[in-house]
Amino acid sequence: MRQSGSPARDVLRLAAGLAIVAIVWGGLLPRLLDWGPVARHIELMEARGVDPSAIYYTELERLPLRPAWVEDRLVLWP
Amino acid sequence: MRKGLHEDLAAVVIGLAAVLLALAVTWQARPAEEPGSRALHPKGWATPLAKTVGKPGTWSDQPLAAFQDGSGEWKLQPILLGMGWVGLVGGLGVVLGGRGLGAYLPGAAVLVMLACLAYLLAGQKTVKYYNLSYPLWALMVGLLVSNAAGVPRWLAPAVLGEFFIKTGLVVFGAEVLVGRLLALGLPGLMTSWIVTPIVLVTTYLLGVRLLRIPSKSLCMTLAADMSVCGVSAAIATAGACRAKKEELSLAIGLSLFFTVIMMVAMPPVISALGLDPLVGGAWLGGTIDATGAVVAAGETLGKEAGEVAATVKMIQNSMIGLIAFAVAAYWAGWVDREAAGPRGSLLGEIWQRFPRFILGFLAASLVCSWLHTRGPEQALWVEGATGGFTKPLRGWLFCTGFVCMGLQTNFRQLAPVLASGRPVVLYVLGQSLNLALTLAMASLTFGWLFRKAVE
Repeated sequence: MRQSGSPARDVLRLAAGLAIVAIVWGGLLPRLLDWGPVARHIELMEARGVDPSAIYYTELERLPLRPAWVEDRLVLWP
Repeated sequence: MRKGLHEDLAAVVIGLAAVLLALAVTWQARPAEEPGSRALHPKGWATPLAKTVGKPGTWSDQPLAAFQDGSGEWKLQPILLGMGWVGLVGGLGVVLGGRGLGAYLPGAAVLVMLACLAYLLAGQKTVKYYNLSYPLWALMVGLLVSNAAGVPRWLAPAVLGEFFIKTGLVVFGAEVLVGRLLALGLPGLMTSWIVTPIVLVTTYLLGVRLLRIPSKSLCMTLAADMSVCGVSAAIATAGACRAKKEELSLAIGLSLFFTVIMMVAMPPVISALGLDPLVGGAWLGGTIDATGAVVAAGETLGKEAGEVAATVKMIQNSMIGLIAFAVAAYWAGWVDREAAGPRGSLLGEIWQRFPRFILGFLAASLVCSWLHTRGPEQALWVEGATGGFTKPLRGWLFCTGFVCMGLQTNFRQLAPVLASGRPVVLYVLGQSLNLALTLAMASLTFGWLFRKAVE
């Protein structure tokens, strides 16, 4: 773990880092939302109720329980 | 933790207590009307604890919208309470470990705010819908603070990264339901149980033997992340093989990078190949690391492919407990034993070195899995308790743990390995094998062997 060094320089560097974050999240990323491919992807995901950031199945909007139609197409347990 | 309980044991005690609390409170508030009806309670029984643990939501161009609900009302209270739970868990860990709370509290207050900032960054729509989930931003927030300003002395006592991750993992165990393994019967089992272990072991051996990556734990964490289910598997396996913080960070970074590429690239490839939705969905579910990205890619192909992809990934998700147990046993009994030199019986040494928090994780998983299979009411009880409380709690614990890892990460330790590019080569080789084997198995099981003749 890097300990704090000169306070003034540390504050300046942290402020610069936060400024970059503010520019990217406050300006760049919101503008990307209007760009065709991104807008279409998000629209589709919202329409289908999908959360692509889920790291585990319990975080999904709908639990992926066995779809009813699967049993008509597959022999699941011979 | 110098005096008092060992960190692993403290994580088990606190984690299991959180799971029991969730089950008890949810049982107390069980619905009077048709408690076994999934139609009435699609996400399980509502638990009063859900109101005590919220997190910032999704936003487009106004960050403050993350702290409001759909109707524009402020939802600060559940978010603050969620941060409070993290502070409480850390505080209990400090006390059980035999240390004083005085030095912990000021740092804890700032730490949970950094975790909240990470959630805020992850909630921006562009970021969220391209699967760049909160672990990445939590690491970045920690790295930004430690590299730009360093870690102040008053913050250091609250930086309990491994403890937060271990406790989060024990709590996470409640969501790992073994019964889900059977969600797609034999074809699902074959796709997951045959391909995943082969890819895991082969990738690990490729890293250790062929690429000669010096750290075995890095190879194992990367292999599990890539072959099982991304971040969640990486966290569990890294704990099981005691990987360094830097190694887990690297595995997660690589995985998220390739996941975004695969999420965008695989659906057009499947369409171009003219694969059946069942086979295409199973291929997506078995290969893309992150669960959310699997569903996103599947839904791009269509409803059927999306449902199969999500179910196959859920089966892989449910393997985490078994994989973590097997890796922990292998590490304790062979890797660590070989390094230290055998001193006693194999079983005795495995028991001695086995990470105790993995036992807590398995205990939570087995108890909730058992309860879940008892009947429809019990299933909805478990789903309500985990969905309403343990899931958001472990999210906060993981998020805070990753902020700590960012604060503690020293990438100089990994610089020689990173410069060689070998982890990237290992990931690409392993994922190529995964793609080939999963496509072959999905075509065999979903496309031919178990296909009904009526079609």
